[in-house]
Amino acid sequence: MNLETESTSTAFSPVDDGALPSAPIALYRTMQIIRQTEEELARCHQRGLIFGACHTYVGQEAISTGVCAHLTNQDPIFSTHRGHGHALAKGMPPRELMAELFGRATGCSRGRGGSMHIFSPEIGMMGTSGIVGPCILQACGGGYSSKLMKSGCVAVAFFGDGAVNNGAFHEGLNMAAIWKLPVLFVCENNQFATEVPFAYSSGIPDVGRRAANYGLQGFEVDGNDVIAVSEIAREAIARARSGGGATLIECKTYRTRAHAEGMGDFTYRTREQVEQWKQRCPLASLRLRMRTEFDIDEAIIDAIDTEVTAIVSEARQFSEASPLPDASSASEHVYSQVRTVVRHVELPQAQIVARREISFTQATHEALAEEMAINPRIFVMGEGIGVRGGNFMTTAGLYQLYGAERLCDTPISERGFVGLAGGAAMTGTRPVVDFMFADFILDSVGEIVNQIAKMQYMSSGRLKMPVLLRGCIGIGHSAATHHSGSYYAMYAQVPGLRVVVPSNAYDAKGLMKHALRCDDPVMFLEHREILTMKRHVPKEDYEIEFGRAAIAREGRDVTVVALARMVHLTLSVCEALEREGISVEVIDPRTISPLDTETILQSVAKTGRLLIVDEPPAPCGFAAEIAAQVMDAGFNDLDAPIRRLTGVFTPTPYSPPLEAAVVPNADQIADAIRLLVKE
Amino acid sequence: MAFEITIPRLGWSMEEGVFARWLKLDGETIRQGDPLFELEGEKAIQEIEAVDTGILRIPANGPQPGSVVKVGAIVGYLVAVGEASPEVPMSASLENDQQITEPLEGASHVSVITGSRDAVMAPAAAPSVRRMAREVGVELNQVEGTGRGGRILADDIMRASSNPRRDKRASAASPRARRAASEFGIDWTQLSGTGAGGRIREQDVLAALTAKKSQSSHLAAGGKRVPLTSRRRVIAKRMVASRQQTVPVTLTTKADAENLVNLREQFKSSGGMAIIPGFQDIIIKLVAGMLLRHPLLSGRWDEDAIVLPAANELHLGMAVDTADGLLVPVLRSVAQLSLVELATRSRLLAEQARSGKLAAADMQGAVFTITNLGAFGIDTFTPIINSPEAAILGLGAIRREPIVLDDGTFVARHQITLSLTFDHRILDGAPAARFLQDMAKAIANPSAALLR
Repeated sequence: MNLETESTSTAFSPVDDGALPSAPIALYRTMQIIRQTEEELARCHQRGLIFGACHTYVGQEAISTGVCAHLTNQDPIFSTHRGHGHALAKGMPPRELMAELFGRATGCSRGRGGSMHIFSPEIGMMGTSGIVGPCILQACGGGYSSKLMKSGCVAVAFFGDGAVNNGAFHEGLNMAAIWKLPVLFVCENNQFATEVPFAYSSGIPDVGRRAANYGLQGFEVDGNDVIAVSEIAREAIARARSGGGATLIECKTYRTRAHAEGMGDFTYRTREQVEQWKQRCPLASLRLRMRTEFDIDEAIIDAIDTEVTAIVSEARQFSEASPLPDASSASEHVYSQVRTVVRHVELPQAQIVARREISFTQATHEALAEEMAINPRIFVMGEGIGVRGGNFMTTAGLYQLYGAERLCDTPISERGFVGLAGGAAMTGTRPVVDFMFADFILDSVGEIVNQIAKMQYMSSGRLKMPVLLRGCIGIGHSAATHHSGSYYAMYAQVPGLRVVVPSNAYDAKGLMKHALRCDDPVMFLEHREILTMKRHVPKEDYEIEFGRAAIAREGRDVTVVALARMVHLTLSVCEALEREGISVEVIDPRTISPLDTETILQSVAKTGRLLIVDEPPAPCGFAAEIAAQVMDAGFNDLDAPIRRLTGVFTPTPYSPPLEAAVVPNADQIADAIRLLVKE
Repeated sequence: MAFEITIPRLGWSMEEGVFARWLKLDGETIRQGDPLFELEGEKAIQEIEAVDTGILRIPANGPQPGSVVKVGAIVGYLVAVGEASPEVPMSASLENDQQITEPLEGASHVSVITGSRDAVMAPAAAPSVRRMAREVGVELNQVEGTGRGGRILADDIMRASSNPRRDKRASAASPRARRAASEFGIDWTQLSGTGAGGRIREQDVLAALTAKKSQSSHLAAGGKRVPLTSRRRVIAKRMVASRQQTVPVTLTTKADAENLVNLREQFKSSGGMAIIPGFQDIIIKLVAGMLLRHPLLSGRWDEDAIVLPAANELHLGMAVDTADGLLVPVLRSVAQLSLVELATRSRLLAEQARSGKLAAADMQGAVFTITNLGAFGIDTFTPIINSPEAAILGLGAIRREPIVLDDGTFVARHQITLSLTFDHRILDGAPAARFLQDMAKAIANPSAALLR
């Protein structure tokens, strides 16, 4: 069913009768749409028609209405769990919102999201989020895309007072300030973070004035006065469009319904307080001003009310009549469509012009440089990746070619710039986040797992997330425990992520090229101890698709599966074992997600024995996963128990003898193979 | 509700048979009484009739022609129109001894059918005994049963569990080794493993396979392994059982057969007889009469008693050589048969035996057996008792031999050698000798004996 064409037939638009969106009559109509839709949703929730949560926007309609009146479909907005009003103000037909809460295939997120994951990228509604804070960073990403592509778009983040004591607020406002991003931060201070009063959570009672600390303009405005909000938003958006940077607007308001439908409301506030705020209803006060100030006939306003009632009623009928999604589609859109690789993996020897040995680092640098040259949407973020060229020379010389916008040195704000990268990818650019050390990624895991990995799915495939996250892993050279972690098994557990762990220069270039051309978020992990190892790498363009293991060495008696440095350690003992009469086959999966189980199974079918050598500790790890899969699908091929040789379950120690004691070494690998053959 | 088609028991001791072929196709409508399939029992192929009515459903994992099938095994279903066919319960059948197995092929051998599905040769044992076997870690098919019909008793399990041989037997085999064992027809439970803790690995199975092949290659060049037929197996089992369970003694004597030969000549020359009784027929008739006088020879050992047949139950077995091996059809109530009836009947049974058309019932219930190797020029031999019978009489060749008369002159007369094997548990040498002596006398004067 084509929703786009269907929804146009309802002829709904917040802009009507030729009036400017910011004209009072249009503002009123939008607010009325929000109010009546929300009240209908509250009724439906009570009647059990909504399966999950329902956070209404009642009382706060003036804010999204006043801001969105100055935005086009190309201006992206990023919202929170209380986002119905933002979607409607941005132009989403009520039927699409309502059908989503009804869990229908016709919902704006095709039933994948519900109240807290409302997507309509076609109109610049880039999603609501169940996590407070990420929208601030994603809006920075929207602003970064706008700056990079010079599109003139302004990105808006709507968030509550609950978000402003979160690190994302600090990191986001700071980044917006230092890069002068075209972003509007709209804080809807409704005075409660769920049930915790803002007066309790913050050292100062106001949010707007915090902007000054970041070098941004900040405003505090009556959030129930749509005309005031509209005015101030108009100025801020115009300033952002003209390169004047970001603005923080605090709209003081109050939600007059419970945090979520069905929740008790009077443990943290009184009926009297709620009643008082209802008296300050933004719709009622605009209606009064329309008659008194703008001299608009009451009948016209009544006609709007009637029209909206009909729209909302139709929306409900549409939602109830819509089909539920087909259960068989539940795992669609986890990843983007796999692109057919035209230039293929292994080049015929004849095509290789000259044998050329380059290092792992040079290989990935070459891949990045070549892709940046042909794709202006690629930009790199990281600490010291600009003029300095990266701690590991990952971007050496590129700053001189492409400048500060495409080689963006960052403050130490991992969560901030990863969240920004997510927003940038959502708005059409292709960020490469260079973490230097993969340990630092952990500061941003929420953005990766909750936002970046899930975004394609939540938007039912309408948003692409081409984010390349790269960093060094691996134990060695007394790097100690904050510069030696791998954690790849953890990322491989997240649907939506691709996890790549190359072992050599040739693979690294081919995989990096593929990562820079695919539309999925890729975790590209480079083992620091093999970065200088050289390998023949063709000058010609080639890609290695994800999910294709390499047979690093063929053998008959035992299969060893290993990644990165462990591939080399294993290969180093194979000749000696061969002389002992043990023929070892070494499989390098190259990517953990997707994992090429088939190649491993084929090898085990041949050898009957499987050892997995893995640097990180064993529990719930890469080795465990492979062991389980082989047990499942290759049990009858096994002539011995599957064995794992992994790192010790400790943080990485510093002193060399301690460090050596926690990582598998060549002797241990050889012994493990010998034992396995005797099993 | 689907009707199960099961393998019937075709003889009192039948535990398994060879599935010969379906006589109907999957999907055919079967009426009660229709012939359904052919089954080779202990001694003959038999048509098995449908006992229910319905649409025949032959499961894909059902027996193939040549498959050894356990009595009671479900081989198919008769279903109603539109009713789905249940799966043959392979796993459930283990406990119930209802087992369908893979076809015997190539170099098949008792141990060919291996792995967990091998209940073919698993002997009968009570559930409590099976549980005991599991608990003490004894494989049932490794235990020799001492109960009735080879049934395994608790004592047998206890003996097996303390058997030091068991320690050498591996307790575990890798999945790959099991698969290889099943592929190559190796019984891995008989191998010793070279893996950790004695685990059997693929290489152990392959080594066993090589050994098996080299055993075969000990045959002269161009030799081959001839698969055992179900009948050969039954014969072997019975012969061994007879050897192990009886105390055989063989007596031989010569009898004057001149009058026997003359009598048969008279039958021949009298004309008008549709069937002329043979020497064997006449001797069988004489044996029946003699058993009335020497009942112990028709006795049966039954643990705490010797069971003697009634006069009208003197059923005599008659060994018949067929292309597929020895069969022993049974002549019923020989004492009550006229000689001509006996001859007619024995000829029919012999023909049926040779054409494989003997019914299982035709081979049951004998109390004494006559075996004849005279046609091959054999004089004396040591017949094996057709257990649980008490004795068997072997007939040698009838030859003209010089006989020394009282005056020291020689005369040529027909002579026959009799070989009687008896079970010394049931009777002693003297009564057996008396029987044989009387038999010799009866043969020397058959007319008189026949008149009795």
